[in-house]
Amino acid sequence: MKALVWICLIVISLLSLFPFYIMIVMSTHVTEDLFKGIPILPGDYLGQNLHTVLRSDFLRVYGNSLTVSVAAVAIAVMTSTLVGYAVAKFEFRGRKWLQLFVILTMMVPTQVGLIGYIIEMRHLGVGNTLWPVILVWAAFPFGGFFMIQFIRDSIPNDLLECARIDGCSEPGIFWRIVLPIIKPGLATLATLVFLWSWNNYLLPLVTINKATWYTLPVFISNLGIVHRTDYAARMAALTMATIPVLLLFLLGSRTFMKGLTAGAVKG
Amino acid sequence: MSAERTVKSAASRKRAWGPRMWPYLFALPFVAAYAAFQLYPVIYSFVLSLHDWNGIGSKTYIGFKNYVQLWTHDPLFVKSLWNTLIMMAMFIPVTLILGLLLAYWTFHLVRGKKLIQTINVLPYITTPVAIGFIFSYLFDWQTGLVNLLLVKFGWAQEGVYWLQNPWSSRAVIALMVIWRNLGYFMIIYMAGMTVIPQDVYEAARVDGSSGFHTFRKITMPLLRNISVFLVVTSVINGLQLFDEPKLLYGGWSGSVQVGGPDNTALTMIWHFVDVSFISDTRFGYASAIAYSLFLLIVVFSMLSYRLTAPKEDSK
Repeated sequence: MKALVWICLIVISLLSLFPFYIMIVMSTHVTEDLFKGIPILPGDYLGQNLHTVLRSDFLRVYGNSLTVSVAAVAIAVMTSTLVGYAVAKFEFRGRKWLQLFVILTMMVPTQVGLIGYIIEMRHLGVGNTLWPVILVWAAFPFGGFFMIQFIRDSIPNDLLECARIDGCSEPGIFWRIVLPIIKPGLATLATLVFLWSWNNYLLPLVTINKATWYTLPVFISNLGIVHRTDYAARMAALTMATIPVLLLFLLGSRTFMKGLTAGAVKG
Repeated sequence: MSAERTVKSAASRKRAWGPRMWPYLFALPFVAAYAAFQLYPVIYSFVLSLHDWNGIGSKTYIGFKNYVQLWTHDPLFVKSLWNTLIMMAMFIPVTLILGLLLAYWTFHLVRGKKLIQTINVLPYITTPVAIGFIFSYLFDWQTGLVNLLLVKFGWAQEGVYWLQNPWSSRAVIALMVIWRNLGYFMIIYMAGMTVIPQDVYEAARVDGSSGFHTFRKITMPLLRNISVFLVVTSVINGLQLFDEPKLLYGGWSGSVQVGGPDNTALTMIWHFVDVSFISDTRFGYASAIAYSLFLLIVVFSMLSYRLTAPKEDSK
């Protein structure tokens, strides 16, 4: 019985890994060889493929994706933390409403307002730039929800009260007491936002149609139409697009899992 | 006791204005950003859905005509809804059951728990573009690995047209979703299992329950809330299915075939994107699609909550 469980687990895990393996192996071969048979072992063409990829706009696109994700993380974490702190640790009129508001915002899919959003961005004059892809993170409902929970659980009220009696200003309390304590929560939220903004496909696809501002998912999916022959180079590009999130994940896998499960187990 | 109260009230009197202002200031950026970048577009889209507008010319108010046309005269919309539901019926049960099993097995491992967990979450964090490419390569008719294997082992005379057949193309998309989400389901279930107090299991063992019986009678019922959460969220996400089918048909083969063979892989969001940005710019009509989808999401998530929540709670 035990052996059977192990076999199942190993098979499923291998199936999880297999496509990654294929992707990496394919990026080390010459495209023509990919058609001849099943590439099982890595080839020695990786350098050439990378060269092909780097000759295109890849580096700029990579930079775009990094800009978007870093900006998204900064802005989403900031607004979420502030609103989370307000709801979790203050008594004020409308607190209940605000909390309900954050929860309700989680239920509205972004696609519902997609067309309105794009028109709005055009009116603001930032239509075909990176701004629309970044600004959508300015109010991140899950982030607000996550921070309310996290701050409520991790900061004792007495601590805040003590700081107030000692004459610390409210921004001072936030900056010097709250932020240091919730560092793990900030890290969790930041990794999640990075992941989701990095992998986002639909929004950049419909807002950006200028090659200068492409992000990685759009760039790579368009690569097929531009030079449709060099599959191996595309696989190399994909591998490089996957590496940052993979690294991020392996570095903080515990943080990651915590963030992903945050909504489920509590709610 | 009373001394503490005096200190507190004195302190609160002293900062009478301050603390009252701060929570509002702290909440402002989020609320303002939500109003500006999400709520306003949502309302604007609704207004648009009552108009006929191609994005450039003038808007014509037509009331609910877009909705009427959508639900009664747009076979493509109905088909996209149908396709989405079929694919959801394929991947939700499988992911749920496999995810639970995987979590149960992994949870009771003595060694290698973390490794298995980490490996299986990898697909979830991968760029959907990569998943689309890899799967369209694996299931390609001529060069695909799956067909090569089938032919090599003699299970098929020649390659199967996986991506050109209505049912197999949907199945491949369902497979992509399963492959991607399995690890996520697994860690959610595992997180739920850590919350179950161990003495429940102790008691069960003392009473002579073991193995599958314990799993069925204790683990599964106690994880009910988690299952409800997973079903509801995967219904919500499933109705918004877009990346996987779009990338499967725009990946390896490089063709830009909208909707797959005879539109059997067209999902509602794909239809929406196509009507508004790719084949056409019917913004009013597309907004009506988006709102219909929203309505469906509300109805379906309430329905799936009702159906999966325990009887006592659903009253």
